[in-house]
Amino acid sequence: MEKRNNKKVIIKVNDLSKSFNNNIVLKNINFQLLEGESLAIIGASGSGKSVLLKNIIGILEPDKGSIVINDTEMVNLPRNLKEKLLLDLGITFQHGALFDSLKNWENIIFKIANKEKINNKQGKQLAFSIIKQLGLQPKILDLYPSEISGGMQKRVAIARAICGNPKILLFDEPTSGLDPVTGSLIDQLIKTAVKTIGGSAITITHDMASVCRIADKVILIDKQTISWTGTPKEMFNSANKKIQEFVEPINSEIFFK
Amino acid sequence: MLDFFLDILGTTGKKFNNFVANIGHFFIFFGSAIYWVFKPPWYLKKIFQQIIDIGYFSLPVVGLTTFFSGMVLALQTYNGFTDFNSETTVARIVLTSITRELGPVLTGLMVAGRIGAKMAAEIATMRVTEQIDALGTLGTRPMQYLIAPKIIACLICIPLLVLIGNIIGILGGYVIAIYKLNFNPSLYLYATMEYLQLIDIIQGTVKAAIFGLIISMVSCYFGYYASKGAEGVGFATTSSVVISSVMILTSTYIITALFFG
Repeated sequence: MEKRNNKKVIIKVNDLSKSFNNNIVLKNINFQLLEGESLAIIGASGSGKSVLLKNIIGILEPDKGSIVINDTEMVNLPRNLKEKLLLDLGITFQHGALFDSLKNWENIIFKIANKEKINNKQGKQLAFSIIKQLGLQPKILDLYPSEISGGMQKRVAIARAICGNPKILLFDEPTSGLDPVTGSLIDQLIKTAVKTIGGSAITITHDMASVCRIADKVILIDKQTISWTGTPKEMFNSANKKIQEFVEPINSEIFFK
Repeated sequence: MLDFFLDILGTTGKKFNNFVANIGHFFIFFGSAIYWVFKPPWYLKKIFQQIIDIGYFSLPVVGLTTFFSGMVLALQTYNGFTDFNSETTVARIVLTSITRELGPVLTGLMVAGRIGAKMAAEIATMRVTEQIDALGTLGTRPMQYLIAPKIIACLICIPLLVLIGNIIGILGGYVIAIYKLNFNPSLYLYATMEYLQLIDIIQGTVKAAIFGLIISMVSCYFGYYASKGAEGVGFATTSSVVISSVMILTSTYIITALFFG
């Protein structure tokens, strides 16, 4: 396995480009996610952050470049092998993408229930043990996603992603639409997941407070490419105009005192 | 002037090109869906849910439609054949029309409207809300989990609905013949049984199975490739009903021609 600074390279994106009908969205994207690292991807709306994530998980195929996850090239990988690889990933989508026809507890244990036989009681217990960490009430387990609030749906989607303790976590705007207290709880959870199980995470977010709380490394996507890379602390001293626009609204003192 | 014609030619060519590409795309989807219908494991719970939804909950609408069609048919036939041996003629025409044509076609159209629209809307909503993408990342094949159970359920339910619809349609004709036209019940039933032929039942069942395949494939196809949010869901729903209905009416001619042509 490829290593960098004595750490395993979990995800390596190399020279990735993607366009839709001659509209270039991403151009020559290069970055690495190391073992135990939490990476935040920031950028303006429509800058291609979610497209990048969809390329990483194989929903979209890049026009050019390579994506290596745990030493396996994802681009042009046969579908069955891609699916096997994806089982090691915990993913949340921008709008939750919970299955409307299933109850919340069935949504949470969906991946586990596909892999092994699990009865309703065990399933609910497993789902309960996860939602406890996310500040959700057990009564939501027997409800359908349409019967709970948007913020709760977001947390159920996160519960589905972390169910089974995957080593690689990919979150697309996990704290958007959540109140600051719950947002902070989710950040804490991402941090805990990365530190305690030795996992690695990529989080796409606009929430700079969240970036400061969870990220070891930050990349900014601007004008189709990565225009800045650094740590959250370095963001506040950066001369990059776009980064300054992002950090301007928040007082760095709050986070780094 | 030349530019004008070139423009028309270009637009027509582009549309034709898209049309051919869409047909090809549909057949690739069709092949893939058939593969997943036969590939284990089967999601039996999902298949059962679909059978209840398609079969059981379509019974009232199919029953009502075929019952009234049988009634209308008996009345119209009697008016047209009043000078002839009406009892035998009415029974024969009601039976033949219902079992060969009206039963399967009306059931197909009703199910296309009720179930086809629902399937397309459900899958299209799942597509535009990223649920289908999520399925793929959770170790599940969307074709196997979402599409195959719907196709299997349609192939089981629609022939059964047609058989039940046929019985109800013939009953509708019987009710009018006996209670309005004052036919002799024994004679009418005897004529019905005498003209009942296995080939008609087989033909109706074959049609129903093909209609089931058409409805499920077309609806799932439009739903699966939906885009552009709510507008895309609406487009998928409308297209699935219109295309399914046209294909049902076209294929019923082809099947009839193959059986009796």
